[in-house]
Amino acid sequence: MLKAHLTRDDAEQYILGALAPEKAAALEAHTVECEPCARLLQEEALLEEQAHEVAATFAPREHRVLRPAAWGGRRVAAGAMSALLAAAASLALVVHRGGTPPPTSLPPSAHASAGPVVEFDEGAEVPQVVMVACPDLATEAECTQSAVARGLLVLSPGGVAEVPRYEGHSGFPAGALPSGPASL
Amino acid sequence: MSAAVQDLRMTAVRVREETEESAAAPRREDELLAKRALAGERAAWDALIARHDRRVMVSLLAKGVRADRARELVQETWARLIQQQQRGLLTELRLPNLALTQAAFLAADDARRTRRESLSGSVEELAERQHPVDPAASAEKRLLSEEQLSRAHEALAQMSPSARNVFLLACDGQELPHAEVAVRVGLSTQRVRQILCEVRKRLRAALEEETHA
Ligand SMILES: [Zn+2]
Repeated sequence: MLKAHLTRDDAEQYILGALAPEKAAALEAHTVECEPCARLLQEEALLEEQAHEVAATFAPREHRVLRPAAWGGRRVAAGAMSALLAAAASLALVVHRGGTPPPTSLPPSAHASAGPVVEFDEGAEVPQVVMVACPDLATEAECTQSAVARGLLVLSPGGVAEVPRYEGHSGFPAGALPSGPASL
Repeated sequence: MSAAVQDLRMTAVRVREETEESAAAPRREDELLAKRALAGERAAWDALIARHDRRVMVSLLAKGVRADRARELVQETWARLIQQQQRGLLTELRLPNLALTQAAFLAADDARRTRRESLSGSVEELAERQHPVDPAASAEKRLLSEEQLSRAHEALAQMSPSARNVFLLACDGQELPHAEVAVRVGLSTQRVRQILCEVRKRLRAALEEETHA
């Protein structure tokens, strides 16, 4: 036998298509002559096929989506939305009714409104959260800054004249929000 | 609202739009390629083959087909699909699924023939692994039990969002090249592959749990 046996890493790199063509060809040739290495390659190939099955059947099970009710009419294609969800980072979005002040200072007008303060809490104990973000008129600035600082995506209401309201969706802790859309 | 915040908001909204577009773009590109291939354009076939070849090869290796035979079957797979297109037998071209199904069919056919030949003694006895595949197997066959799937999903849910995102982009069935995944998530191709190796490690552990239980 001309070449050394495969390591698992070699096999994995081959499966991922990371090897140069000559190296990939040499690896294939080796497995034709070497039964243990052929089995190793088969294992890695099988794992790759299984990984595709896992990916194809994976759907984030718990979303936390907070959005102003005023966005209700806005249409987002299902495909685009799932791409957004996949792209969004994990975080918890906690809404306090006039509660804890946000970590960074808000414009005075935002505090004066006594509206909800939106803050992010990246606590690890929360279930997986995929979030398409937050703003209302009073907290939009803070929310947007926080989100952008974390590389998140922010959906802003199109028209500033609309009265924004929040509604909670799946996964939000019971009692954290009034049931259904609530006027602020 | 201050000008700076206004800018931020604009940035955020623009980022969102770009994300939607970039998610849709490869799909549109694929559809366009498939259309051109269905019209018989050779360059379009070449591009599709370049993108999906590796997955078809891996699917055969996973069934235990020997690497040299797998190479031949992959070539045969594409030759048959092109032939079907030229005869006007293909009305749509869903890749990689169509190629995976064709390859699985060829492998099964191969296995039947090998078995027949070895029964009649016309070729020497082959090792079990060289019998490529059970004839009943198809590309649609599930590889994992519900329990394994839920373990794997659990493991996936516990990974960092960026690792999960890389994995889902790379393995969503579109066969997005790793270099393209890298561009989309703002990492190097090498880092993307490192992440994929880490994810594979966790998945392997999650899938093996059942066997030892
Ligand atoms: Zn070896």
